[in-house]
Amino acid sequence: MDDLLHHFIVEAKELIQQASDDLLALERRPFDPHRLDSAFRAVHTLKGSVGLFDLKPLGDLLHAAEDLLAAARADGLDLDAAALGALFACLEASERWVGAVEANGDLPPDAPEKADALAAGVRSLLDTPNPSLAAVASRADAAWADALFDALRGSDPAAAASGRPLTAIRYEPRPDCFFSGDDPLGLMRSVPELAALKVSARDPWPPAGSFDPFACNLVIEALSGAPHPDVAAVFRFVPDQVRFLVRDAEPAPAVASAPSGAQGPDSGPPAGPRTVRVEAGRIDRLADLVGELIVAKNALAHLVDAAGRVGEDVDWTGKLAAHHAVIDRLAGDLHAAVVDVRMLPLRDIFRRFPRTVREIGARLGKTVGLTVSGEDIEADKTVIDALSEPLVHVLRNAIDHGVEPGEVRLEAGKSPEATITLRASRFGNRLSIEVSDDGRGIDPARIRRVAAERAVVAPDRLAAMSDDDILDLVFTPGFSTSGSVTDLSGRGVGMDAVRAAVESLGGRVSVLSRPGHGTTVKMDLPTSVVMTQIMSVEAGGRVHGVLMDSIIETAAIRRDRIAPVGSGRAFVLRNRTVPLVHLSALLDGPERDSLAQDVKVLVVRVGSEPVGVAVDRFIDRMDVMMRPMTGILAGAPGLIGTTIQGDGSVLMVLDIAELIG
Amino acid sequence: MSVRLEAEVVHLEGDCGVEDAEPLLVLLQADRFRTVDLDRVDRLHTAVFQVLFALRPPLQGQSPDLFVRERLLPILS
Repeated sequence: MDDLLHHFIVEAKELIQQASDDLLALERRPFDPHRLDSAFRAVHTLKGSVGLFDLKPLGDLLHAAEDLLAAARADGLDLDAAALGALFACLEASERWVGAVEANGDLPPDAPEKADALAAGVRSLLDTPNPSLAAVASRADAAWADALFDALRGSDPAAAASGRPLTAIRYEPRPDCFFSGDDPLGLMRSVPELAALKVSARDPWPPAGSFDPFACNLVIEALSGAPHPDVAAVFRFVPDQVRFLVRDAEPAPAVASAPSGAQGPDSGPPAGPRTVRVEAGRIDRLADLVGELIVAKNALAHLVDAAGRVGEDVDWTGKLAAHHAVIDRLAGDLHAAVVDVRMLPLRDIFRRFPRTVREIGARLGKTVGLTVSGEDIEADKTVIDALSEPLVHVLRNAIDHGVEPGEVRLEAGKSPEATITLRASRFGNRLSIEVSDDGRGIDPARIRRVAAERAVVAPDRLAAMSDDDILDLVFTPGFSTSGSVTDLSGRGVGMDAVRAAVESLGGRVSVLSRPGHGTTVKMDLPTSVVMTQIMSVEAGGRVHGVLMDSIIETAAIRRDRIAPVGSGRAFVLRNRTVPLVHLSALLDGPERDSLAQDVKVLVVRVGSEPVGVAVDRFIDRMDVMMRPMTGILAGAPGLIGTTIQGDGSVLMVLDIAELIG
Repeated sequence: MSVRLEAEVVHLEGDCGVEDAEPLLVLLQADRFRTVDLDRVDRLHTAVFQVLFALRPPLQGQSPDLFVRERLLPILS
């Protein structure tokens, strides 16, 4: 893909996200001028970039959206539910199409048709005179007063919260007002109980050389704690140039009840720390390099060993060992630094969720709000990337199965609007993510019934299970209790997929429920990928790695203690019969009978049972940076990954349990 | 005279009326980086304020006038 297109795709995704964030904020708090401006700018910029490529349908679509936003911005056109819906539809289509361009280099074939339809929808909103336009004008008009009030709350919270009504003043002196003897700021000086004063330029300033000192180009806005008539009296000679708005000191309730995770009402997008966009591939390369440095370190360790055996020159050995210690420290530091570079804030995935929740809720006819916290917590990119899909699934489940329809909620004495809370927290190097809803909860009796019907668990075991264990059944493959299959959750991707994804990251997932009050799905994950401890063993003339985690113990079993049992063999270890298989046999390799007196055995856990795996030789235990299997080997059973050994050879790391299973 | 240049510093003093806007502008057009001293300003006419607001020269001094000091200077800084 050419560089320009690549940059465009990255930028487009960000701009679409920005516009979506802004529209969501506008949905909660209409007429927020910062958000409206920001949404307009995002769409406008994106439309401009699209023009560089042959993507006319996308350009047409964005053009329509831009027109609608411009009308809202300039003429106070009401961005009602229909308008917001149309804009969201445009953004969704844009996002899909940018994805298509990224994947296939071109828009989907139906794009021109779809773009026409969507753009026509947007334009129809523009053409029909908005019935509420008159009423809306005053609300749109209030945006400047909102901004003033917000500024006051920032600078002088005491005045803002005094509980008294405030009079907002917007004074646009005529350009020639100086000639009629007006001194607008002199008038402001006379305003009683002035609480805030703001001056801005009406038009951009001309260059200093052509500046006209006798043309007034100022807009003056102010807040006063005095009653409206007293304030208006000051401006009695310039009534045509001034507007007033009286508002309660504690404004729009939306502000007070805004979810804690939402952005402050006056801030617009926060000015975050400066970030550098790094292509993921380069970071991965850096990580690989560190892996190689670690390999170099291991090679040096080999040398230390060799030197100790061959020569008597102790000093040389000591020097090498010192070198090794230095490289060891360096490698450790570098690894930590790289892990740090790879750390990303959860915001990267969380920020898409408000829209996801809105879309899912809208499709199911449920009103759902999302409260997010802990989005600043960081985790390794691998963890972040892998979490996105499971979390969407959990959110989907919460809205689809957890949240009751509005009528039912009202009957149960709940607010018709459901709230889903997405909360992240960090304890040391563990990350905890909770998704809670305030819906109906999970009824254990229902789970029991369904589990029995679908024979997920044997009836006698089912009866013996506690309610907590019963809840855990929702993670069983194929388990779905939804009365009707919806187009959202009933896709055969169940909670079992969520559990698989979380466990593949070294995490755990559990579910808690209070019937009638809601459900919480809790994920506990590591924040970073860590070095893996493996043991290298030789079998059938080849060296393999085995995860230390899976090894219970190693043992040397005397040959005469191994007895044939059925078609296999077994031995007794601490009064327990343990089946024995040879690693070579598991790998379909030649099984050589060694002449040694003892058979070396790895005792590993398969399910809950110990199994002995005979090998020819134990070699070493080491910390390695494991690379997962890729390409055609990705699906190879029994292989977890590869790592590079001290001598440069590739070591395959085996999943013994899977090989035996 | 309410606008005075002394040692490359423009001093605004007393009541600065609409007629002071143009001399101030001329001094600042000649050198945008001349400091403007507001230590002895009592009143700032909107036209004078506008010159300072548009050209943003470096400022120094605190006017004795409460309105100028607490309402107008923060806008200019």
